[in-house]
Amino acid sequence: MFVIQYMLMSFEKPIHILVAEDDEDDKLLILKAFERTLPKEKVTCVEDGEALLKYLKRTAPYDDVEKYPKPDIILLDLNMPRKDGREALAEIKSNEDLRSIPVIIFTTSNSVDDIQATYKMGSSSFITKPGSFEELVKVTEEIENYWSKTVKLPG
Amino acid sequence: MKNEQNPSIRQVKIYSIVTLILIILGSGLSYWTAGRIEFYSDAVMHTTEVLQRTDQLYSSILERETNIRGYGLTGNEEFLTNYHQSNVDAELLLSQLQALTMDNAQQQNNIEELRGLINTRVRTFDATIEYMKEHRNLIGFIDPIKINNALGGYRMIKQLVLEINEIENKLFKERNQSLFNNINALPFIVGLISIFSITIGLVTFFSIYQYNKTQQVASKEITLYQEKLRDQIKLLDDSNKELESFAYVASHDLQEPLRKITAFSDLLNEQYKDKLEGDGDLYLSRITAAAVRMRLLITDLLDYSRAGRIDDEKIKSVKLYKVISEMLEDFEIAIKDKSANITLGKLPKVRGSGTEYRQVFQNLISNSLKFSKPGVNPEISITSEKASQELIGKHSSLNINGNYHWIKVSDNGIGFEKQHADRIFSIFQRLHGKKEYEGTGIGLSISRKIIEKNGGVIFAESSLGKGSTFNIILPFTNT
Repeated sequence: MFVIQYMLMSFEKPIHILVAEDDEDDKLLILKAFERTLPKEKVTCVEDGEALLKYLKRTAPYDDVEKYPKPDIILLDLNMPRKDGREALAEIKSNEDLRSIPVIIFTTSNSVDDIQATYKMGSSSFITKPGSFEELVKVTEEIENYWSKTVKLPG
Repeated sequence: MKNEQNPSIRQVKIYSIVTLILIILGSGLSYWTAGRIEFYSDAVMHTTEVLQRTDQLYSSILERETNIRGYGLTGNEEFLTNYHQSNVDAELLLSQLQALTMDNAQQQNNIEELRGLINTRVRTFDATIEYMKEHRNLIGFIDPIKINNALGGYRMIKQLVLEINEIENKLFKERNQSLFNNINALPFIVGLISIFSITIGLVTFFSIYQYNKTQQVASKEITLYQEKLRDQIKLLDDSNKELESFAYVASHDLQEPLRKITAFSDLLNEQYKDKLEGDGDLYLSRITAAAVRMRLLITDLLDYSRAGRIDDEKIKSVKLYKVISEMLEDFEIAIKDKSANITLGKLPKVRGSGTEYRQVFQNLISNSLKFSKPGVNPEISITSEKASQELIGKHSSLNINGNYHWIKVSDNGIGFEKQHADRIFSIFQRLHGKKEYEGTGIGLSISRKIIEKNGGVIFAESSLGKGSTFNIILPFTNT
């Protein structure tokens, strides 16, 4: 089953997703959900906004280009320690090299303020984390499908 | 009400009345005394005049004696003319005296007697003058007896004049004394009244001063209490808001771990269901079911904490008929399923949020459908009328002078026992087992919260097996 899927996917270039998520459980669930549609190595996780920026700017310990390639899209949690999602988003969108990477807000928040603020700051989508694993799989499939097939990415 | 009047005010009233009476009394007394003074000064003047006239009379008598003597000695007619003039004077003075002493019987007698004596004397003089005119002298006319008589007559006149004088003098002294007494009394009376008035005035002033002071202290206390009350209301408001945000945040954060429980249960169920032995499968499904229910409870709690939040933008005039009939359209399938018959009467406009009123009536209708009698078609009616004064009076949170709508939602369902009428509105309270009837028991508590936040009251009436009526009392809206 999975093998066939991988084979089908290999016709198109699989996208690379960078997930900024501090919660271990959520990280595990997101990875598990993406495993259904993407090869494991196509999804990378960082634990907060600081690490995310380091990764994107290729500073240590993310200076290995082979190991840490430039992501096609970023999945960004809003509430994180040290540098939270809002700050990270602001920094990405003010950086000439990084601002073209689509940022998808992926959070438990469904506050109107957060939604409006992040879109204004240049995020591409706002998704509230679903309640069950089934729904989560559905969401990750949709994300993958949309950003790898429906749209053209700057690359 | 009069008994509650401040005692100082009553005192001031009494003082004022007493002062007024005293002033009137004093004025009367002064007027009377002034009258007395006038009377006595008149009397003194009168006496003085009597004395004066008596003196003049005596002078004229003396003058006459002198003139008759002169005539007798010289035979000069001029003396005779003076004598006659004196006679006329004496007669006039006597008449005057008589008139002046009309009120005094003793003096009248004396004057009458004086007149007699004078007349006798005049007759003697007249005889002397006659003799003198005839003989040119008085030789042979005057004898010791005549001289004696003349001396005696004069002495008696003098005596009588002195007596009249003495009586008048005595009267003068008495009247003068009275006059002085009265004159002296006047300042005394006025002074006394002044002292009384000033004293009472001072007492009144002091009373008012004291009263004002008490008033000031009282109003200061009232202001203090008002401030305290305001502070406490603010405190209460703050703690209410805090509680609401606490409920919101708590339920929001509670969802986090729950979401993970659900997700990992799903994952476990999906990937390892086959590997679970014994009751493992059952336990996993129990965990999932419990998580689902907890999720429901938390969502309800969130709804409850959000319900009835006063959001000025959402508050407007709501046409209940429109809101309810739109809601019923959305529930058409459930209503048809139960073969329910729902009738709407004339419904008023009320103030609040349309979404929230929709929620209230949706809860009530869905309860009526849910708790319908098995095998009986549900009959639900929503009607409205003006709430009676008596009904309003039963609920302390309502304004007894206000106008209210009384909206009734009645059904023919299973009803409930009377003693549960309040319990059903409490959060998560249920009268039936979860297996018999689904739901968390939040609907009615949310409904109550919404109705109460809009200044109304909701209460239920029912008896087991006889259907139930939910009563909503809401204030009139002026828009």
